[in-house]
Amino acid sequence: MTIEVSNISKRFGNYVALDRVSLEVKSGELLALLGPSGSGKTTLLRIMAGLEYPDSGGLRLFGNDALDRSPRDREVGFVFQHYSLFRHMTVADNVAFGLDVRPRAVRLSKREIRSRVMQLLEMVQLSWVADRYPSQLSGGQRQRVALARALAIEPKVLLLDEPFGALDAKVRKELRRWLRRLHDEMHITSVFVTHDQEEALELADRVVVMSQGRIEQIGTPTEVYDHPATSFVYDFLGNVNRFEVDVHDGVARLPGTTQPFARTHLRGDGAAVAFVRPHDVELARPNGHDVPNTGKVLGIHAVGPSARVEVDLNGIAIEAVMDRERLRDLNLAVGDRCVINLPQISVFGQQEAAE
Amino acid sequence: MPAETIAPSAGRPALREPLWLRLSLIGGALTFLAIFLLLPLILVFVQALGHGIEAYWDALVEQDAVSAIQLTVLVAAIAVPLNLVFGVAASWCIAKFEFRGKSLLITLIDLPFSVSPVISGMVYVLLFGLNGWLGPWLIDHNIKIIFALPGLVLATIFVTFPFVARELIPLMQEQGTDEEEAAVVLGASGWQVFRRVTLPNIKWGLLYGVLLCNARAMGEFGAVSVVSGHIRGMTNTMPLHVEILYNEYNFVAAFAVASLLALLALVTLVVKSLLEWRYGDELAASARH
Repeated sequence: MTIEVSNISKRFGNYVALDRVSLEVKSGELLALLGPSGSGKTTLLRIMAGLEYPDSGGLRLFGNDALDRSPRDREVGFVFQHYSLFRHMTVADNVAFGLDVRPRAVRLSKREIRSRVMQLLEMVQLSWVADRYPSQLSGGQRQRVALARALAIEPKVLLLDEPFGALDAKVRKELRRWLRRLHDEMHITSVFVTHDQEEALELADRVVVMSQGRIEQIGTPTEVYDHPATSFVYDFLGNVNRFEVDVHDGVARLPGTTQPFARTHLRGDGAAVAFVRPHDVELARPNGHDVPNTGKVLGIHAVGPSARVEVDLNGIAIEAVMDRERLRDLNLAVGDRCVINLPQISVFGQQEAAE
Repeated sequence: MPAETIAPSAGRPALREPLWLRLSLIGGALTFLAIFLLLPLILVFVQALGHGIEAYWDALVEQDAVSAIQLTVLVAAIAVPLNLVFGVAASWCIAKFEFRGKSLLITLIDLPFSVSPVISGMVYVLLFGLNGWLGPWLIDHNIKIIFALPGLVLATIFVTFPFVARELIPLMQEQGTDEEEAAVVLGASGWQVFRRVTLPNIKWGLLYGVLLCNARAMGEFGAVSVVSGHIRGMTNTMPLHVEILYNEYNFVAAFAVASLLALLALVTLVVKSLLEWRYGDELAASARH
């Protein structure tokens, strides 16, 4: 294991930023810490770098206790959210900084540093701005300089705090793909923080979903998307339909109805929450028999390759997504009655145990 | 037609005053400045040169005047560098770290601005004077503070302490700790972080603060007057020397020395304006103005 976080807690005054968090980062992987703001993801990243100190818990880097080591001895590269480039230094001096401040005994010669800096700037495709100042660069260029600066000290771990947060959408996508390629070439263990679920799911090998200082789920992008462990993960990842249901004897019903709505393995009776993804909602034309879960079409939005159909089921609006051919076959129109099947429904009780 | 009725008011924006009002306001402000600032400044030089350039020069090279100038420069040469170090240390503490008692420290730094300089001088007399708390002990060990150079330096440091810190604190707070954190993660030691990251970011603000600190250190009267003892040729600084000469009706000599202080003020103003003009975005003071 490259990074082992065990039972780390951190408070700021009365605010609990991290509550007994444990996590292992595998060697060479690209891991995403995903969560809304205030979930503690940045605090966890800063603790790994040594910029914050936990109240309790342990941290090991490559098997060695890291908490008693200062950030300058941890051999981590850190890319800050707002880049934090040294404003009074040129791009080349920024990248060279980590090599320049080494003790004389292990410092490279001026020429070696210069050639290494140019090599790094070429890697991030910015050798032509070596003598400019950070204020003369665009956001995306600054981000790449920050990355080159972090990589200059040949860190064993690369930590990135919201690396694409301050960039516009187009640049963000480009940089995302570029970072993934870079990671695949260098195989450096990397952890990045993001609040953008699309970014985490597309870029990372594994995703850690956090909320209110705790880890909700750890898994590959497919795992966390297809099998969310908690209602929070369901809600946070992707588009989802959410309904309040009553559970009785393993059967969930919509409040105020007697018809069974879904089956569940949830033990105990009482109020629960049900989730279903729009593309898991199946619609069919009524075949004459009286089937449960018959609803009414409220609206149809067919733009692009897929169509979005809003249906009403006992006063609850449900969103269904299907490809446009399927919609044509169904031949639905606003106001039509239709059968709603929910084979992929997940029900979570108050105690958040999965179905 | 509507277009024609709008046209005149488009030429005169809503927030522009009529010409006569603008002229009289500007004229009033300029007259005020001329009477209360420019005229006295000119008078200083007129009086100083009233008996010819020779008398002016004689007054400046007179023995007591020379020793007053030397003493003033010496006091400033000790007090200003010390305040530079204290000011930078205090602002670094306040701007870059969170700790208990921080607001108390900020209040303490501001104290010299709110206390009359005479009182700060008296405090040192109470502490180190003949009948002060530490007076007997100091006499036993043959250490002279009051009515000697150390007392003048102490009083000057006290009065001029806020200048550097007050300039740097808002500047450093605005810059935050991001760059310092980046430097630490890249392997820099505390000293390297300060010298290579923090200091270059505050250098113009620091120069600005030092400039004002120096002007005040050389011109300080109240606090220095209490601890000086007014021993001619020994503990008289320039402002004190001017007062003595004036009280002896020696106007030419008094204004000759005063003109040096006025020159210092002018040079300070010019350099200050240059700094504000050239490096305004790197000064906290210009953001406040």
